[in-house]
Amino acid sequence: MTTVEVKNLRKSYDDFLALDGVSLTAETGQLVTLLGPSGCGKSTTLRCLAGFHEPNGGDILVDGESILNVPSNRRKFGVVFQNYALFPHMTVAENIGYGLRLQKRSKGEIETRVFDVMKLVRLTGLEDRLPREISGGQQQRVALARALVLKPRLLLLDEPLANLDARLRDEVRWLIRDLQQQSGITAFYVTHDQSEAMAMSDMVAVMKAGRVAQFATPREIYQKPSERYVADFTGEANFLTAQRVQPVAEGRYSVHVAGADIEVEGVPGLLKNAAAELLLRPESLTLVTTGDTATFEGEVIKCAFLGASLHCEIALPEGGRLKLTAPPNHEVGAGDRVGIAIDLSHAWLMPEVAP
Amino acid sequence: MSMAAQTFGGQRSVNLGFAVLIIALYIFLLVPVVTIVGASLTDGLMIEFPPRGLSLRWYQEFFARQDLVDGLLMSLRIGAITAVVTSTVAMMAALAGQGLSGRLSGLFQLGMTLPLLVPELLTAVGLLFFLYKIELGKTVTGLQFGHILMSFPYAYVSISAALRQVPPSLEEASASLGATGWQTFRLVILPLVMPGLAMGAIFAFINSFDLYTISLLLKPLGGNTLPLALFDFLTYEFKPTAAAAATISILLSIGGVALVQKLVGLQRAF
Repeated sequence: MTTVEVKNLRKSYDDFLALDGVSLTAETGQLVTLLGPSGCGKSTTLRCLAGFHEPNGGDILVDGESILNVPSNRRKFGVVFQNYALFPHMTVAENIGYGLRLQKRSKGEIETRVFDVMKLVRLTGLEDRLPREISGGQQQRVALARALVLKPRLLLLDEPLANLDARLRDEVRWLIRDLQQQSGITAFYVTHDQSEAMAMSDMVAVMKAGRVAQFATPREIYQKPSERYVADFTGEANFLTAQRVQPVAEGRYSVHVAGADIEVEGVPGLLKNAAAELLLRPESLTLVTTGDTATFEGEVIKCAFLGASLHCEIALPEGGRLKLTAPPNHEVGAGDRVGIAIDLSHAWLMPEVAP
Repeated sequence: MSMAAQTFGGQRSVNLGFAVLIIALYIFLLVPVVTIVGASLTDGLMIEFPPRGLSLRWYQEFFARQDLVDGLLMSLRIGAITAVVTSTVAMMAALAGQGLSGRLSGLFQLGMTLPLLVPELLTAVGLLFFLYKIELGKTVTGLQFGHILMSFPYAYVSISAALRQVPPSLEEASASLGATGWQTFRLVILPLVMPGLAMGAIFAFINSFDLYTISLLLKPLGGNTLPLALFDFLTYEFKPTAAAAATISILLSIGGVALVQKLVGLQRAF
């Protein structure tokens, strides 16, 4: 099958550095997501993979061989675009059969393969429609089928769900993931939506200003981010300034945070008294009665009742605020003094900016 | 009367004024056409409107005049070649221009439409000297050259506008599915710009059919385009034959537009 290695990829336009040394790998059958805000270089990376952009430096190896000199029409990669890029003058079946037609396959073979893939993406019956006559979700499934029917070596998806409404997004997302896993095809997926990235990927590359800030599994990205930027981008996060950082073992530190001395895990290699921040995800914080097993105490600033849960924001006397989610039956309101227990095994010490 | 109703009344009078303006504009544009067509159908001996009785005798007269028919055939031939050549070259130019970025693209656009911006007379004089230099003075080839030059911008504007409507991602999608540049052009780009291409060709044809100044200066020996032949004719005679000739021109234009409508649909051409 297909392994991909992106090595130190660089790309600049006039005076703008779009990619500043991007390195990534994808093993056979993995779905690798490039996650980041617009302008971070995630689409540029994908377009270099697809062959639409030529990088200024670095290399892309597919199964160990550089593909930089292979034009996009001979790379045998399937590309799915944000705006679908269906050919408006061709029917659904003609769109899907386009690549096979270019390969000069027999009419019978084209028909069978188009029929099979249409069944796979649940489009049967729409063969003779034009793209403008079907819904956005259906159009995106046509685009997916058009790429998959050629059994590509690599599937490249550029924000494929961005133009769909929330309900369809979920449906198409699972369809993409299912098909990708069934066919065992290696895939790259570009998105700015962290929940999409978490839910679908084997590996996530969080990108920042033309570089990969962290490349790891979704769990690691979320629970053990390499820097504040990554933590911020991957979900709701609380940060408290950590003082008196003291390494106690590899990746373990004792720190002084908001008036309490605690021992936590963190990014390996932090030095004594390094400037660092403690990451506390809202779900690792629990509201408790003052005095109990509380690590911190604070005053409730606001509380929103969301039905299934309670979202509270709490100010600590030493400065700093914590957002947390509490069970809905807690009767707390603004101005109450509360205690907060921390699940220390899920607290994480990290530098504000990775060195 | 309430405020809302007053505003509504105001809106209505604005609409009414607008309608009157449109109607006036249409009258202004159509009166010459209606007059000339009407005059061509007269049974009398002078160009006049309303026609004095109805007949097709001036059409008969037109087709009996060798000089006018020769002019018509020459104009048709030059127009057809102009349409084919300009639309082909303009298609290539539009594709080339598409690849350019920012400022270069603007300059390219300007360059391609230059024959529209320079006064026709200047272009004609320049061409006249140039054609003599390359020994094409007073030849049909030279005249053809001039017509292609003058009609090119019309074809270019129409085709490049159509090309801009094709999202670049379609080309990328086509390439990713294994298509060569030529296959992408033939299977994706060409079908999508066809309305603009056809419209560009028709524009070029109509423009060529209508050119006067440049034809006058580059007039080949022993050959006349229809506008030249018509002008010569009108210098000595004021017969409705000229009106018949003009009507034939109008019919050709309408025919061309109708052809585009039939083949590709006018809405898609703009």
